[in-house]
Amino acid sequence: MFRARWYKVFNDLFGNKTRTLLIVLSMSVGLFALGIILSARTILSEGLAESFAAITPSSGTVRTIELFDEDFIQSIRSMKDVQEADARRNISARVQTASGEWKNITIFVVADYDDIRVNKVASQSGPWPPPEREVLIERAALSVIEAQVGDVVLVKFPNDVERKIRIAGTAYDPAQLPAQIDGTPYGYITFDTLNWFGESYGFNELHVLATHPEDKAWAQQVVNRVKDKAEKSGYTIPLSMTAEPGQLPMNDVLQGILLLMGMLGILSLFLSIFLVVNTVSALLTQQQRQIGVMKAVGGSTLQILGMYLVMVLAYGVLALLIAIPFGVVGARGLSNALAGFFNFDIYSMDLPPQTFLIQIAIGLVLPVLASLVPFLSSLRISAAEAMSSYSIGRGRFGKNWIDQLLSGANIWFMRNLSIRSILLSVRNTFRNKGRLTLTLITLTLGSATFISVFNVRDSLSHTVDDMIKWFNCDIMLTFDRTYLADKVEFSALTVPGVTQTDVWIQLPTRLIRSDDSESGMIYMFAPTVHPESLIVSPTIAEGRWLMPDDDNAVVVPSAFLQDEPELHLGGDIVLKLDGKEHTFKIVGTYVGMAILPLVYTNYEYITQITNRIGEADALMVKMERHDPAYVDAATRALEDHFEQIGVRVSMVSTINNERTEAEASFDAIVALLLVMAILLALVGGLGLMGTMSINVLERTREIGVLRAIGAPNRGVASVFILEGIVIGLMSWAMGAVLAIPISQGLNQALGQAVMGVPLSYSYSIQGLWTWLVVVILLSVLASFIPARNASRLTVREVLAYE
Amino acid sequence: MLEFKENPNKKGREDNRGVKPASHLVGLRDVVKTYHSSAGIFTALKGVDLQVESGAFVSIIGKSGSGKSTLINIITGIDRPTSGEVVIDGTAVHDLNEEEIAVWRGRSVGVIFQFFQLLPTLTAVENILLAMDYGGYYPRTERPDQAMHLLELVGMADHAHHLPSALSGGQQQCVAIARALANNPVLLTADEPTGNLDSKSTEMVFRLFENLANSGKAILMVTHDNELAERAQRTIRIVDGRIQDEFVNR
Ligand SMILES: Nc1ncnc2c1ncn2[C@@H]1O[C@H](COP(=O)(O)OP(=O)(O)O)[C@@H](O)[C@H]1O
Ligand SMILES: [Mg+2]
Repeated sequence: MFRARWYKVFNDLFGNKTRTLLIVLSMSVGLFALGIILSARTILSEGLAESFAAITPSSGTVRTIELFDEDFIQSIRSMKDVQEADARRNISARVQTASGEWKNITIFVVADYDDIRVNKVASQSGPWPPPEREVLIERAALSVIEAQVGDVVLVKFPNDVERKIRIAGTAYDPAQLPAQIDGTPYGYITFDTLNWFGESYGFNELHVLATHPEDKAWAQQVVNRVKDKAEKSGYTIPLSMTAEPGQLPMNDVLQGILLLMGMLGILSLFLSIFLVVNTVSALLTQQQRQIGVMKAVGGSTLQILGMYLVMVLAYGVLALLIAIPFGVVGARGLSNALAGFFNFDIYSMDLPPQTFLIQIAIGLVLPVLASLVPFLSSLRISAAEAMSSYSIGRGRFGKNWIDQLLSGANIWFMRNLSIRSILLSVRNTFRNKGRLTLTLITLTLGSATFISVFNVRDSLSHTVDDMIKWFNCDIMLTFDRTYLADKVEFSALTVPGVTQTDVWIQLPTRLIRSDDSESGMIYMFAPTVHPESLIVSPTIAEGRWLMPDDDNAVVVPSAFLQDEPELHLGGDIVLKLDGKEHTFKIVGTYVGMAILPLVYTNYEYITQITNRIGEADALMVKMERHDPAYVDAATRALEDHFEQIGVRVSMVSTINNERTEAEASFDAIVALLLVMAILLALVGGLGLMGTMSINVLERTREIGVLRAIGAPNRGVASVFILEGIVIGLMSWAMGAVLAIPISQGLNQALGQAVMGVPLSYSYSIQGLWTWLVVVILLSVLASFIPARNASRLTVREVLAYE
Repeated sequence: MLEFKENPNKKGREDNRGVKPASHLVGLRDVVKTYHSSAGIFTALKGVDLQVESGAFVSIIGKSGSGKSTLINIITGIDRPTSGEVVIDGTAVHDLNEEEIAVWRGRSVGVIFQFFQLLPTLTAVENILLAMDYGGYYPRTERPDQAMHLLELVGMADHAHHLPSALSGGQQQCVAIARALANNPVLLTADEPTGNLDSKSTEMVFRLFENLANSGKAILMVTHDNELAERAQRTIRIVDGRIQDEFVNR
């Protein structure tokens, strides 16, 4: 008995190569998906933490208007709760791209590039530190300014000095938002180079590391103390912020993606378990008769069981041999791509051993458990029963209403059309409802995510539209200080094409709570309010927008009221402006977006209470025509004009540019989401392939029948491909529905992460149709290989000799 | 009484290739079949010559393992001869590839199995219609009527819209016979069609074969049952892969 037994195991395994291939493939698909996701997730989160730790991230940043020197840095470093501090010069300059367009660029000036103590910047390529009269560009920013290392670019400083400067190399600065995401490139120069631009020595940005950086509240206190000290030393602080402890700027989005990957991981875990269990039980069902035969010839239960376990383990080992190496390659590729996108380095590609352990557990232990259940039930069948169970398939078809509906008898048109093979496919789809459900779950999740990504893209552009709608103008100019409003408005109107202008004033402010504590920085935005105003109301959530005769009325973001429980609509709010406290009345809240909280109030009133009557620091301009070329030309004319009359423009933005920039940065995120969606769809597709493989296995006998009654290769394959398409279409329809809540969730998360508010919801019909095409292709592809295998079976193999 | 509607343009028989002077419906010449398996080499057919005229009802008998199934599978193209010639209705089957055989078989031979082999998710009439769709002998619009006609022929019209699982073994075999007739084949083959039926069903199914034979169909049937075999016009006995002797029963 013994030798014959092992011979049978060997024969079962390798005697039918097609079957072995199908089983091993469907098991390894799940194990592969699991491996790639678990490993990539670990590599990425570890890489992120390591990258971040390596730069000694600051707890907070304090900016000053006046420049400070090394002595001041030393005095900050000597503060009790400050672990470390460092400073830079931060300059908002302009750079001309190859296409002649001017873009904003942030230039950092560091005193000693080899001794950066906080928010470390490292060399990526080229010389280090930056050579004199040359600049290093952050590695993620080169594409944004459309330049390469070695190019010479024209840079214009706020002091109007323009210099042609060579890009000597690249730097790596993971503390900054990746340039392709927020659209702002970063450059690094030395103080000598700064001098060449006609600027004097000095710093304006402090990076502070608190003693217990992991405690956010503490870090906030320390940063506030530094800020107070700076204020006492006579510096004006326009901005101070505390970082989330231990996080890179895009951390929220990346965490969201890691979360998505975690979900994917659970999903593929589920998928692989289901593929393994399905495969093994399908196999055992096929073997039931042989089990009966073996019992009949006197095989003991234990002997038979042991034999099958060895066979199942052998499949598991083969599947792992495929899944593990491919999983490793896939995980590394995916990690590299994502790390590149979020601009951080992965120091170690070491794979977490637990991934392998989980894969091995699922690949080896689970099949054994899975085979026990059907096996034990098959053992209960007597030898005679097992051998006589000759009915084809295991279809429990015919029992419930779906089956009733699908049985052609009551569908009149089916009698006249030659669609029997379609019927066959459709009904086969519903034969094993458990397997169908599991396949549908994975594929539906893929569908829903894919459609959701399109919805998010649509929502993003809607949101941009909504945001742009607030501005009824074409160009916004911000000046380096306040100027006489009349002067800037009148001179702007002399430029041809300008039809209307408006001014506003913007001031940093802080909220004073009843316990005298202060909030973080808030921007006060005071536009002129009149019926033809160039700034129109943001979307009001509650209350109303400002009126021309309002005095101390403010409109605040609705999220603000939730964060600050003392505040409510119609109530008072105390804001500190220029060091003095003023009481305002909250007349409305808006559904707005702002990385920093923004409160609106009337221009007239603010200029009165701050002694700035008749002054403005920003100008909105409306043009005769709104096309980009025309507006760009007018912008240049305006800038020249202001230069002549001695008004310094520190920032220019045109609505057209704002829109393209916002959309470009969203596109990057959408592209990334799309990669995830494609991955999910792929997992779903692989699941479908596994299911179809099992179906082919289970229906080999029916395939033989089809062949025997004259089905050509095409005919056999199409039965299975159609079944795949039916499943794909079902997942499409269900995914379309499921996409509604998923896109809402994504809108919420993405909006919060990037703009501080949820995106305006929109459902993309284009996404729906695109996915329909993709899912059909995917289904055809997924069922093609199993179907082709099916069509290769010859009748004799499946029928003639059993 | 059995009647077959003839399709005037006889679509499906025209593209037969390797046409030879078709003196017989089935012509086997020196057919040898050798199996190579892990247990060694085994010759199941050792040079078989056989001619069957159209309209003949031939039964094949022999001990288990003598080569009956192998012989019938070679005639239907399910199996291939190791050497020798198989010409059916003018088609040299041994020259066709697997795909061509499937299409040829669908149009020319009706295959009946011991275990019925109806597709479980299609109703009786749909099983027949599917075979009609593949063979394409009857025009599309006539197929539903023809299928019902065939079901009447086998006495299963009342069960046309039942799934196989709702039918008894004998009923399933009757439907399977109707399916074998779906493209009005010149030859029906059946490998122990009553092997899995009780005596009442066996009688019912065998009657059907007799009626079909009377109406002019050529039938090749393997059976264990010598009494049944004798009701055919001609009986062939196979012993050890060779045709041992032949009887003409009537
Ligand atoms: N695929 C095969 N591989 C090896 N031996 C086979 C195969 N098919 C049939 N045989 C052998 O050929 C002989 C004839 O088989 P078969 O034609 O099925 O006999 P019968 O139908 O008369 O019982 C048997 O001894 C069988 O073991
Ligand atoms: Mg036999």
